[in-house]
Amino acid sequence: MSTERVRSAPRFRITYQTALLTLMVVLVLVFGLIEPVFFQPDVLFDVTSIVGEIGIMALAMTFIITTGGIDLSVGYILQFAAIVFGVTFTATGSLPLAILLAVLCGAACGLVNGAIIAGTRIPPLVTTLATMNLFRGLSFIIAGTESYAGFPEGFKKLSTTLVFGVVPIQFFYFLALFLIFHLFFVRGSLGRILRGIGYNEPALIFSGLRTKRTLLLIYTLSGVMCGLAALVYLGRLSSAKTSMGNDLNLQVITAVVLGGTSIMGGVGSVAGTFIGVLIIGILRKGFTLLNLSGNIFNFTLGLTLIVALVVFAALEERKKVSGARMRAQVRSAPVGPPDRAAPRGEAGRAPGEISKVQ
Amino acid sequence: MGRKRIVTRESMLGTIVAAFMLFLALSTNFGTVSGLYSMMLDVSPTIVGAIALSLLIFTGNIDISAGTILGFVGFTAAALAKAGYPAVVFMSAGLLVGVLLAGLNGWIIVAFRVPSIVVTLATNMVHIGFYVTFLPNAGWVLNLSRSFTWLGQGRFFGVVPYIFVIALLVAAVTIWIARYTQFGKTLYAVGGNRQAAIYAGIDPDRTVLKVYLLEGLLLGVAGILKATTANRLMPSVFQGREMIFIAAAVVGGVNIMGGSGKLLGAVFGALLVYMLSITMIYMGFQDYFQFALQGVLILVAVFITVTDFTALRRRFAGALARGGP
Repeated sequence: MSTERVRSAPRFRITYQTALLTLMVVLVLVFGLIEPVFFQPDVLFDVTSIVGEIGIMALAMTFIITTGGIDLSVGYILQFAAIVFGVTFTATGSLPLAILLAVLCGAACGLVNGAIIAGTRIPPLVTTLATMNLFRGLSFIIAGTESYAGFPEGFKKLSTTLVFGVVPIQFFYFLALFLIFHLFFVRGSLGRILRGIGYNEPALIFSGLRTKRTLLLIYTLSGVMCGLAALVYLGRLSSAKTSMGNDLNLQVITAVVLGGTSIMGGVGSVAGTFIGVLIIGILRKGFTLLNLSGNIFNFTLGLTLIVALVVFAALEERKKVSGARMRAQVRSAPVGPPDRAAPRGEAGRAPGEISKVQ
Repeated sequence: MGRKRIVTRESMLGTIVAAFMLFLALSTNFGTVSGLYSMMLDVSPTIVGAIALSLLIFTGNIDISAGTILGFVGFTAAALAKAGYPAVVFMSAGLLVGVLLAGLNGWIIVAFRVPSIVVTLATNMVHIGFYVTFLPNAGWVLNLSRSFTWLGQGRFFGVVPYIFVIALLVAAVTIWIARYTQFGKTLYAVGGNRQAAIYAGIDPDRTVLKVYLLEGLLLGVAGILKATTANRLMPSVFQGREMIFIAAAVVGGVNIMGGSGKLLGAVFGALLVYMLSITMIYMGFQDYFQFALQGVLILVAVFITVTDFTALRRRFAGALARGGP
């Protein structure tokens, strides 16, 4: 799969995502051929219930990674929010209060991350690596090894309802949030600012933009999303304990990187993340159907992340090479801007051919 | 070189560590033979691991998979020892595994120019998945004999563990490398200013690959030191050790952004982190607090090393002169 993507590199953005879609279809076909049950609508759509929590977190993570940052603490913010929900509900019996506190808790954790990252010069990697342990410790301190269960049916309905009898309701949450994030990313100025921070933050600061504020916003947003994801996750799991959310960090990051968001910042795609999340879901469901353990899944996931990083790095390298080729062309073009002077399809030629033309 | 400064960050850290030790010795059973012995036993692998991570951090890299590499090293050594191979064989095999795994990390980072933290986060997951799924008994090796544990459980004069002496030797050699060899200087150069290092004729990629190999060797040592202290081995025990190593390094004044810091600081950092954690145990806190403590410790330490206090003071002074912030 990697060679395929590298070979079809010249038209990058489009091919990368079509390649990703192809990969997704191939995965479905492969799992379906091995285990025909996979083709049944309820099983196939169950993929989207699995990715409910990952997808919601991955949307905000796309924003963060586009700025060149990262949030390693998402899984543990989810855990912390879930514990807060469990404790509050057990203590007071009030569902709205518990939901409110869980989301607020997520927001507070995100705010801590954002404040440290925007306010000091500590890199996001280190900050969230440290706060990850902090949040994990806090939820352990609150809950220990206890688990909280017995949530009302109404709450469980929020994430176990099947629309049209087959499609899990999480898919619609994810879809709605996806549309919002996507619109903000491609339409408003936010997307441009995020990419700008990833490419060249000082340039944005000198242009008078308050990048610190944006950073604070997106990390807090990520925290809020973790709080929401915790609620969706809890509705499905029906008990809050300190072991949940442990391995979600990597799944979220893998989904985003797989979707074509550059880990170096500056390049991002919410639509790519959407497909990336679905691929993770398909892998997970497929592995469950084949009776493979969660550890093999994690193993594969780690490998997938490495492959995605490597492929993307190779693509970036290609882009640079082709960029240099284009610039060379511009310089050597006799008159006018290159797109008019050079005949169509010139960019696809090898450098040797160009020199022959001249 | 100029005049030698006596009041350095390291000497202050050393004083704090000494004062802390004295305090613990006076108020608890820390000062007894068993207290000292268990401190030296626990802190030895941490010293070596913190040094390994510090060397990486000098170049601006990091290794999140250090804990799971330790697990693999321990497993390899223990499994071979169980199969009856002599010490030379199982130890060198352990070291080799460490070098190979860390080298793989380094190769991916250098060859594809991807950030070390993400790569090692992924390899961390690959390692865990691998040993749980593919190793026999999820990598557990039980009932190890004296032929394996003689190193970890042996002690000089009934107090000083062999492994503590080894850790100090490793520290001495690596401090010498970092301080006086050309390789040591290139580490700081690459981490401090990569572009300047290239202009100075240093190949940063080679340096980073080399430092990963060295880190692997040191992790091999740390893994063997830790594994031989017990007569059974569970790779999962090693998961998350990297956080302690990183905490020790940054508490010791190693700048997480790369380019500065001293290995002696990392050694004191390891002692300090250990003493903080046992203090919490003496005070009756649960194990869970360790996670939170490590997180806060790293944040505070990194904040102090990263912040430019002179500039900050100047800014505040300016604000005060203008009549309040």
